[in-house]
Amino acid sequence: MISTRGLVKRYRGVPALDGVDLEVPAGSVYGLVGPNGAGKTTLLSILAGLRSADEGSVAISVNRSQVAVLPDAPRFERWLTGREVVELARGLAAGPTRSASAVLDEAGLGDAADRSVGGYSRGMLQRLGLAATVVSNPAVLLLDEPASALDPVGRRETLDLVRRLRGEATVVFSSHILADVQEVSDRIGVLDAGRLLFQGSAESLLGGDDGSIFEVRVRSGADRVATALRGEPWVTGLTAVDDRRLRVHATSTGDAERALLPALVATGVPVISVTPVAPSLEDVFLELTR
Amino acid sequence: MTLWRLEWLRLVRSRRLVALVGVYAFFGLLGPVTARYMSEIIERFGGGVQVIFPDPVPSDGIAQYLGNVAQIGLLVAVLVAAGALVIDAVPEMSIFLRTRVSSVRQLLVPRVAVVTAAVCGAYLVGLGLAWYETVVLLGAVPIGGMALGLLLQWLYLVFVVALVAAVGTRTSSVVGAVGWSVVVLLALPIFGIVEAIGRWLPSHLVGAQVGLLGTAGPGEFVPAAVVTCAVATGLFVIATRAGEAREL
Repeated sequence: MISTRGLVKRYRGVPALDGVDLEVPAGSVYGLVGPNGAGKTTLLSILAGLRSADEGSVAISVNRSQVAVLPDAPRFERWLTGREVVELARGLAAGPTRSASAVLDEAGLGDAADRSVGGYSRGMLQRLGLAATVVSNPAVLLLDEPASALDPVGRRETLDLVRRLRGEATVVFSSHILADVQEVSDRIGVLDAGRLLFQGSAESLLGGDDGSIFEVRVRSGADRVATALRGEPWVTGLTAVDDRRLRVHATSTGDAERALLPALVATGVPVISVTPVAPSLEDVFLELTR
Repeated sequence: MTLWRLEWLRLVRSRRLVALVGVYAFFGLLGPVTARYMSEIIERFGGGVQVIFPDPVPSDGIAQYLGNVAQIGLLVAVLVAAGALVIDAVPEMSIFLRTRVSSVRQLLVPRVAVVTAAVCGAYLVGLGLAWYETVVLLGAVPIGGMALGLLLQWLYLVFVVALVAAVGTRTSSVVGAVGWSVVVLLALPIFGIVEAIGRWLPSHLVGAQVGLLGTAGPGEFVPAAVVTCAVATGLFVIATRAGEAREL
C-alpha cells in the first residue's frame, strides 16, 4: 500500500531521513515513534507530497486525492465555523463523503459546529482537523501526533477512531506517546536520527530476537549473585534494581531457562523468586535509540 | 463550500472588502470636492496666503481621485491581495488546502479572480462617485474616455494582483510580499521617466483614466496595454510554478 525505498532528505546537508525503507500494508495502522528531530514529520510530509525526497522513491497504491493529512497543530481560517471547515473538506473531496454533522458529532464538536474557529481551543482544533480528515473517506490517513493536544477523554476518542479505521483505511500516525502507539498499531516503526531502526509488529518488537529479561529476587547476597552471573556467557547485561533484586538480560529466553536456575543454585544464595520481565515499548524504544 | 466561496468569505468576514471599497469610495467623494474648492481650502487654511489657481475643469475631479487612489488605494489593494495570495503564510492552513487539491493552480485561480474582482469593483465604486460629483460640481466628462480609461485602469490592477501572486507564492511572509510588490510598483514609474520605455510599461496605464479625458488618444496606451497583458499572464504562470515547487 505504502512503501519507500532508500528515502533520503537533507536540510542544508544535514540528513533528516537517511535511507528509510518503509512498508505499510493496506488497511493497517502503522505507528511511527521517535524522539524529537527523528524525522517523523519529514517522512509524513514526503508521503503527503508536501516535500520532495533528495533520493529514493515513494510508492502509494492509491490516487493522491485519496490521501488525507492531519498536521500536529491544525489551524484554519478564524472566520470560518467548524461546520464550514468540514464542508470545505467535503467540497474538495474527490469521491463519496460522509455527512459533516456525523463527523463533527464523532469528534465531539456537535455543539460547537456553528461557532467561529477563532474561538476554538487547541484540542478542539485538533478534533476539527480529524473530522475534516475523515469526512472525505480517504484510503490513506497520515496523522502527525493526532492526540498530542487532547485531554484524556479526547485522546481516548481519537485512539478509538484510529482503531475503527483499521481495515477501512491505511493509517500512518506518529506519536510521542508510546502507550498509544502500542495500543492501536498493527505495525510499529522506530525512527531515530533519520534512520528506521525497527519495523514490524508490536509483538516482534517487544518479545523479539533481542533476548529476554528475568528479575531475580534474593533474601540477601545480591552482589554475590551478580558477580557469579557476570561470568556466564549467556548473560548480556545485569542491572541492580535494589539491594535484593537484579535484572538479568539473557541472549535468549531458552538460554536463560536452561542456565539461570543452575547458576543461582551454584551461588548458594537463598532465592525468593525468578520472574520473566516483559519489556515495555518504552524500554525497547530507549534501548533502540540509546 | 467551494474555494470560490472561501475567498468571498475571506473578503467579507475579515472586513477586507469594507476597507477596500471604503478607501476607494472615500477618495471618490473627496477628489472632485478638493478639485472644485482647492482655492477656498488653501485660502482658509493657508494663513492669509492667497494662491491663484486656474478655474478647475471636469477632468481635474477625476485626476484628484486618481492621484489619491494611485498611492493609498493601491497600497490597500496590495495588502488585501497579499492577505489572500501568500498561500503558505500559515503552513498548517496551507497543508489543509494543498493536500486537497490536485494543483496549486486550483487554489490560485479563485484567489486571484476574487481579489481582482474586489479591487476592480472598489475602483469602479470610487470612480462612479468621483464621476457623479465631478458632473455635479465641475461639469460633464466624456463617457467614451471614461469607459476606456476604466478598462485600462482595470488592466493595470490585474497586473498588480498578478504581481502580488507571483511574489506571494515565493515567500511565506505577507509583509515581505507587500514590501517587494510595492518596491516593484514604485520602481516602474521611475523607469518610465525614460520616455522610450515609459510608454511600454504597465505603470503608463495609470495615466490613461485622465489622459483620455484630454488630448491623449487610445493609441498612446496600446503598447503598455499589450505588454501588461503579456506580463500579467507571465506573472500568473510564475506564481503557479513557484507555488507548485514550494515545499512545506
